Amino acid sequence: MTALRQYGLLTQWQLRRQSASLPILVVVQALLAVGTVLGFGIIMGEMSGTAALFLATGAPTVTLITVGLVMAPQMLSQAKTEGSSAWMMTLPVPRLAFLAADLTVWTLVALPGTLLALLAGVARYDIELSIAAWALPAAVLVSLTAAAVGYAMAAVLPPTIAQLMTQLLIFAILLFSPITFPADRLPDWLADLHRVLPVEPMAELVRAGLAQDTFTVPASSVAVLVAWCAGSVALAAVALRRRG
Amino acid sequence: MAPRVLDVDDVSKTFRGRRPVRANDHVHLTVESGRVVGLLGHNGAGKTTLVNQIAGLVAPDSGAIRVAGQDAVADPDRVRRLISVQAQANVPITGLTPRTAIELVGRIRGVPRAQARARADGLLDALELTEWAQTPAHKVSGGVARLTAFAMTAVVPGALVILDEPTNDVDPVRRRLLWTQIRRLADDGAGVLLVTHNVREAEHAVDDLVILDRGTVRARGTVADLTRDLRGTLQLVVDLPTERDESPAHTWPDYVTAVSREGHRAQATVPAGRSAEAVAWAQHAVDTGTVDRFSITPASLEDVYIQLVADASATGAPRPLEGAR
Repeated sequence: MTALRQYGLLTQWQLRRQSASLPILVVVQALLAVGTVLGFGIIMGEMSGTAALFLATGAPTVTLITVGLVMAPQMLSQAKTEGSSAWMMTLPVPRLAFLAADLTVWTLVALPGTLLALLAGVARYDIELSIAAWALPAAVLVSLTAAAVGYAMAAVLPPTIAQLMTQLLIFAILLFSPITFPADRLPDWLADLHRVLPVEPMAELVRAGLAQDTFTVPASSVAVLVAWCAGSVALAAVALRRRG
Repeated sequence: MAPRVLDVDDVSKTFRGRRPVRANDHVHLTVESGRVVGLLGHNGAGKTTLVNQIAGLVAPDSGAIRVAGQDAVADPDRVRRLISVQAQANVPITGLTPRTAIELVGRIRGVPRAQARARADGLLDALELTEWAQTPAHKVSGGVARLTAFAMTAVVPGALVILDEPTNDVDPVRRRLLWTQIRRLADDGAGVLLVTHNVREAEHAVDDLVILDRGTVRARGTVADLTRDLRGTLQLVVDLPTERDESPAHTWPDYVTAVSREGHRAQATVPAGRSAEAVAWAQHAVDTGTVDRFSITPASLEDVYIQLVADASATGAPRPLEGAR
């Protein structure tokens, strides 16, 4: 109960600390999200039906992964650079509450853009969504997994290296992961690799959550994702508790 | 005897790397409830490393740390509930106001909102910060930020309060208010560990002192204990003319000891019985222009400190005024 209260207060702390830049962050995030949907459409050429639905329901996953992997740990990197993290860590707060608070702040920042991108996709490609009741918890699972990986890196690596690493990961995820295009376009070895990595399950889960009439998510994918989530949260907890 | 709130027992810590640094070397230190203990030392003496180990951010290589009886090495989470820390660097609170920051920290430490607010307002008032209570943090001065950081630590003090250079950047008037508040923390039952390199200030504000130098404890005791050996001596301080900086021709008389120099100011210890001679010597130096001004004062804690941490070679032999740098 205390931990939950502390999480709420930390979230409030982080939100207030970002308050000056929040509006611009929300706008930039929205531009990026809408840009992903429309931009990939241009790269891929004229699409219709399933292909367009595939793209439009893949774009939110890109946003969720970006928020978790890049934005949330950026707050930790920034706090390490400006010197506030060392003090914050002396507070009697569970280490994972820091992760949860940062993830919450960035999810709130990304939310308007993600919704806008979905609407843009629907309008641009003339598709219909069929949203499942569990779409929201699925999205939380996706962000949490990505954030835990990003946070573990930010906790262990020097800030500049951590930022480079997350950017490299984002590049690989955007171009070489079956999020906005089907896995059969990838070389076999890469497609096989993606069966054990969390990215494809993330995309499948979000896609099925947004268009449950067209797409399904295999149980094996959910299992892979849950395993990654548990593993990466444990890793982040260890990284945050690490003492020099 | 008051209960011990901090017991640092034989703690050593080396930071590995290309050039390993022995930051703490068999350090012993205790803080009792109701006492303000000053931890004095140069930059790099190992003070902040010790603080970080108490707060569970750094693990010692060997030794034990107990806070109010709890093992800080084995259970840092539990110990963090017993301590509150003011870091050496100011905690950036951009986006918040001093009042919100103090109140939020109080609530994070588990106090209900109304109580946290009342305590925040009390501290703001006591430190004469009410004028800036609602000012966005990026618009307040360094001193106000420093005092805000203190209030964030004092809003819900633990059994042990650790203050790392709390008076930095703070103006003389508010410094006094700050010392009053630090004393109050101890009077209310906390043990206070005050980390500083400002010896003069610490002399009047702390109950006990621990002097740390290059990772080891050089001395401990009350101010009276530590200055006892110097009671039969006086301090002769001379200001050197600026233009003679490079080659002061004059030398100290042979009865002075513990010569030191800082910029254009040089200092030496004089046996009390020879103070008249020392005054005559110094007046002569002023008359001949090798010295601008001089003063003779009783030995202070700073003198003890300098003696303790000065290079072992700085003994009583006659030496040029530039002394042991």
